[in-house]
Amino acid sequence: MAATTESVKADAKEAPLLNKFNLFAGLMLYLVFYSFIRWYEGVYGWSAGLDSFAPEFETYWMNMLYIELVAEVIIASGLWGYIWKTRDRKVMSITPREELRRHFHHWVWLVMYGWAIYWGASYFTEQDGTWHQTIVRDTDFTPSHIIEFYLSYPIYIITGVSSFLYAKTRLPTYHEGLHLMYLISVIGPFMILPNVGLNEWGHTFWFMEELFVAPLHYGFVFFGWAALAVMGIVNTEVMTLAKLLKKDLA
Amino acid sequence: MSASQSAVRSRAEAVAVSRTFDWMILFTLFFVVLGGYHIHYMLTGGDWDFWADWKDRRLWVTVAPIVSITFPAAVQACLWWRYRLPIGATLCVLGLLLGEWINRYLNFWGWTYFPVNFCFPSQLIPGAIMLDVILMLGGSMTLTAVVGGLSWGLVFYPGNWPVIAPLHVPVEYNGMMFTLADLQGYHYVRTGTPEYIRMVEKGTLRTFGKDVAPVSAFFSGFVCIIIYFLWHFFGKWFAKTDFISDEDL
Repeated sequence: MAATTESVKADAKEAPLLNKFNLFAGLMLYLVFYSFIRWYEGVYGWSAGLDSFAPEFETYWMNMLYIELVAEVIIASGLWGYIWKTRDRKVMSITPREELRRHFHHWVWLVMYGWAIYWGASYFTEQDGTWHQTIVRDTDFTPSHIIEFYLSYPIYIITGVSSFLYAKTRLPTYHEGLHLMYLISVIGPFMILPNVGLNEWGHTFWFMEELFVAPLHYGFVFFGWAALAVMGIVNTEVMTLAKLLKKDLA
Repeated sequence: MSASQSAVRSRAEAVAVSRTFDWMILFTLFFVVLGGYHIHYMLTGGDWDFWADWKDRRLWVTVAPIVSITFPAAVQACLWWRYRLPIGATLCVLGLLLGEWINRYLNFWGWTYFPVNFCFPSQLIPGAIMLDVILMLGGSMTLTAVVGGLSWGLVFYPGNWPVIAPLHVPVEYNGMMFTLADLQGYHYVRTGTPEYIRMVEKGTLRTFGKDVAPVSAFFSGFVCIIIYFLWHFFGKWFAKTDFISDEDL
């Protein structure tokens, strides 16, 4: 009787399998932050973002660039360092329930990665098309580039690498070896950022007009294909979860 | 871990856990595919998709289906062959259209003030439904590539016709005759407006008049068959679950 009471108490204290607060807070964090960014673009894009030689451009856009670059380096090193430093050194000996809880936590990371990819690859990338069809660029660091290339892309890179590191350091499934498609789904979209070098070099060399389907942009396309590797992660996760739950679902 | 231990406390919890994972997986898959598909589509066929005055009878009809059948073929390769879910193409297209509509409304109109009836996205849902239904009923990649791929190309223009037809009526303006869509473009000047950039109605095919769109659609369908095969295999490759061993590193 006493033992049963203790067991019930332990269950009551146990952390939930899925931390819903983390999930919704993460989604809201990106939504609120990017809504603010979109408001900032709307106000200061037109009032201070048309002429890169104007003093207000330095104030509202270049300073924005410097702040975000510093913040990204600090956040990336802090987050990645924390995940690595607090890694589980006995990951192969965790209980099945703990493993399930960690898979849920891993999926919170993956949901955030999907959400961050949406904002970076879809929302701010196509937005760049309409801005540069409207405003002739006179710098590599245009208002849309400062947000698209140097804010939204680093954010999905930070999120994706964090997700990968979490899986590698806390889940038995990914502990040994490297999951090929996981690597591709993180490194491929990451490579879009270095490809900006090619893009900017080309835009300063060939044309001032905007043609979105120009071959110069195909580097982005190639690395964007890597997003499909998420299917490999899904398949691996489904197999693992099926193994964890099979007995109870039969 | 011990094989005798259970990860859940009851069958009911196992079912709930399984359903929760389904939603998280679907959310992630939807938005990652949306992002990848959107960046691919906007940079290979985007200009024809952005502007009504690029939506011509020749190159839009040819290019848009060819570049847009890619991700649907790849995602079908995973969702059908692994899970028997006949929704791969529709999932991709719904994602793409969601991303595009949000953008056209909040950014094309909301930031740079192009009217939505000038920058609406192309319609791809009819082709996606056909692709999924053909795969579901036929259960054959070859059949889906040949019949579905051809259908994808052929159905594109009719699927967009109700929206684009009013903008293709002729108008006379300052002694020149062009379409209403051209007139929209004339008034909404963009950095892609110069005619050496705008790729519409090129070549001698336009002299064939009414045959331009069907011929372009048929050619597009032919290329779509080949692209479907190629991307179906890409999809199978991306769905692999292989690990690189530590020794290989």
